[in-house]
Amino acid sequence: MPKGGIRVEHVWKKFRADRTAPLFYDQLLRLHRSISQGTRRDYRWVLKDVSLNVEPGGTLGLIGINGSGKTTLLKIISKVTYQSAGLCQSEGRIGALLSVTSGIHPDLTGRENVYLYGAVLGMRRKISHERFDEIVEFAGLTNAIDRQVKFFSLGMQMRLGFSIAAFLEPDILLVDEVLAVGDANFQQKCIQRIEEVVRQGTTLVYVSHDLNSVEATCKQAMWLADAVVRAAGPTREVAALYRSSIQEDASLATSNDGVVRLLKSSIAGPDGGTVLSLEDAEVRMTMNLPESVEADLYVGISLGTAFPIFITKHHGLFPAGDFEVTCRVHNIPLPKGGYSVWTAMTSFGKWADTPLMPWKPVTSFDVFGPDVLNPPEGVMVAAPLYVGTTWNID
Amino acid sequence: MTLPTPSEGEVPLAVNSIGVGDGESMPAEPPNELIYRHQARVRRSLAALWASRDIVYTLAERDIRAQYKQATLGLLWALIFPLAMLGIFTIIFSRTASNGIPGIPYPIFAYIGILCWTFFSGSFGTGGTSLLTNNALMSKTQFPRECFPLESILVTAVNSVLAWIPLVLLFVLYRFVPYPTTAWAPLLILIELAFTIGVTVGVSALIIQMRDLAQVLPIVIMLGLFATPVIWQFKRVPAKWQIVYGFVSPLGPVIDDFRRTMLLGLNPAWGPLLAAIAGAIFYLVLGYRIFKRLEVNFADIA
Repeated sequence: MPKGGIRVEHVWKKFRADRTAPLFYDQLLRLHRSISQGTRRDYRWVLKDVSLNVEPGGTLGLIGINGSGKTTLLKIISKVTYQSAGLCQSEGRIGALLSVTSGIHPDLTGRENVYLYGAVLGMRRKISHERFDEIVEFAGLTNAIDRQVKFFSLGMQMRLGFSIAAFLEPDILLVDEVLAVGDANFQQKCIQRIEEVVRQGTTLVYVSHDLNSVEATCKQAMWLADAVVRAAGPTREVAALYRSSIQEDASLATSNDGVVRLLKSSIAGPDGGTVLSLEDAEVRMTMNLPESVEADLYVGISLGTAFPIFITKHHGLFPAGDFEVTCRVHNIPLPKGGYSVWTAMTSFGKWADTPLMPWKPVTSFDVFGPDVLNPPEGVMVAAPLYVGTTWNID
Repeated sequence: MTLPTPSEGEVPLAVNSIGVGDGESMPAEPPNELIYRHQARVRRSLAALWASRDIVYTLAERDIRAQYKQATLGLLWALIFPLAMLGIFTIIFSRTASNGIPGIPYPIFAYIGILCWTFFSGSFGTGGTSLLTNNALMSKTQFPRECFPLESILVTAVNSVLAWIPLVLLFVLYRFVPYPTTAWAPLLILIELAFTIGVTVGVSALIIQMRDLAQVLPIVIMLGLFATPVIWQFKRVPAKWQIVYGFVSPLGPVIDDFRRTMLLGLNPAWGPLLAAIAGAIFYLVLGYRIFKRLEVNFADIA
């Protein structure tokens, strides 16, 4: 295998079910169970039959909800832990950034920690010494570097940790959800640095809940759900599938709790047909209220997640019984893709403490029109909007 | 390990194709031939360990710096602990004539035992739990796990070297000149080192499997202090048992031979010493094998 390649074939991983405090009595129980039933089932699978193949210089994003096995897979690739079954091979030096603060000792100064964490991540002392200034500069800690790390904020610790890893220049870089603590500026800097490292030929495997940053850094993605691979392929497609599944889960979780009952909902384009970019669209909802209230009704459009790209609000008196709401969105500024409509209703006075309707998805729809523009490499698009533009170059 | 050729079950990661799995056709358990068997080849493991020696140094430096950074007396503590022990033992045990060697000042006699013992007990105590204390690091980074107990031993070794200074002072104080046979010391140190590494590495791997053992450690150390000829003479062990004792606890002959060569100008007592060498090698091999056997799930249960 060439340097920088990763091959994972049919990897399975099990965890013991109770990993904490096995009391002596429990041990006896387990022993008894294993004897009487013959089989031992006190474990659960956290990865089932996962296969992947990353070429040198390739970029793979791992997405999925908490506990779906992403970090475990990274740990297996980095040989922090071992698979229960299957084959996992990789070639070349691995730089694994699984947690930014675990290698950092609070009593030591930033300077001492650069050498410590560098060594732990596999950087030779001499190299740490050579890159020291670059690392500190990148972390933006020039003034604080001789302070004890326990007086650093978590964000500063994370910046220090990431900077060290970013200057390791390994053949394979594994990054777990670690950028979340940094401020927006530093996150952008990190993503640019990752991009730079990838351009130099490093293979990247990146775990994050932030789909935007995965889309910005990875060409390929793999979606893990419940220990199995749900989808794998080009990032945008996998991310779209993942987003729509989040919406399904959310609508299941919040269906009709709250005072307002949602009876029917739909969204349609100009002539009751499909929704088109930069054309009007109409959201229709039939709702039921036990009594008449003055309230705020929110409607938002999102990529499937609970975070809307934009929202609108209507304040008014809503009648008791069944009523219909229409909300006309003018010149809907969305490029081609799948979206969903979310809504919520809040009030005040006697309803101040109980939301009439929690924020929940009501329907999903496709927009037809121009495709999403690809941003320059290493740039995160917060939300895809399509707006008309006029260019002029003199 | 044998593997079937990649079959249709594999999800290809080719550009422009998207594989969607359902998880329904998934077997409940992996087929037997896929089960991973951890094999640690000794030579490769040792090579990896040698390549990671920087990590051992750096971790040791971390601990030494952190240990003394906030203590006003700093490195002096490395001297204070054995001296305090010496003071206590001298007051309590020197009255009983049968404890020391006649003609040798009791503090010198006892301090040699204390030096050997504190190196072992210090390494054993901190190294034994080193995988637990470095839990956060171990479950997030990848380098040979032996680095953790070895690092603890290195830290204790540095402290022990400092603790030799009072011995020199004791020699000056009592105007006692060690005999030329002291030249045997490197061999004795080597035996103690092998024994300490073997026991510490093995115990650290066991403790992470069974945390209760961590509670037992202090008891074992206390018992060991009195079961080892630190404050008494090795001669007290019946002659027929000395060989067995030497194998089970190589520290006995090591301490005894330190005293014989340094204070009496005699050669080491060969019978017990050879047993101690055999014992030390036995512990080293056993401890390392236990460690390598168990290391496969360290990160999972830590």
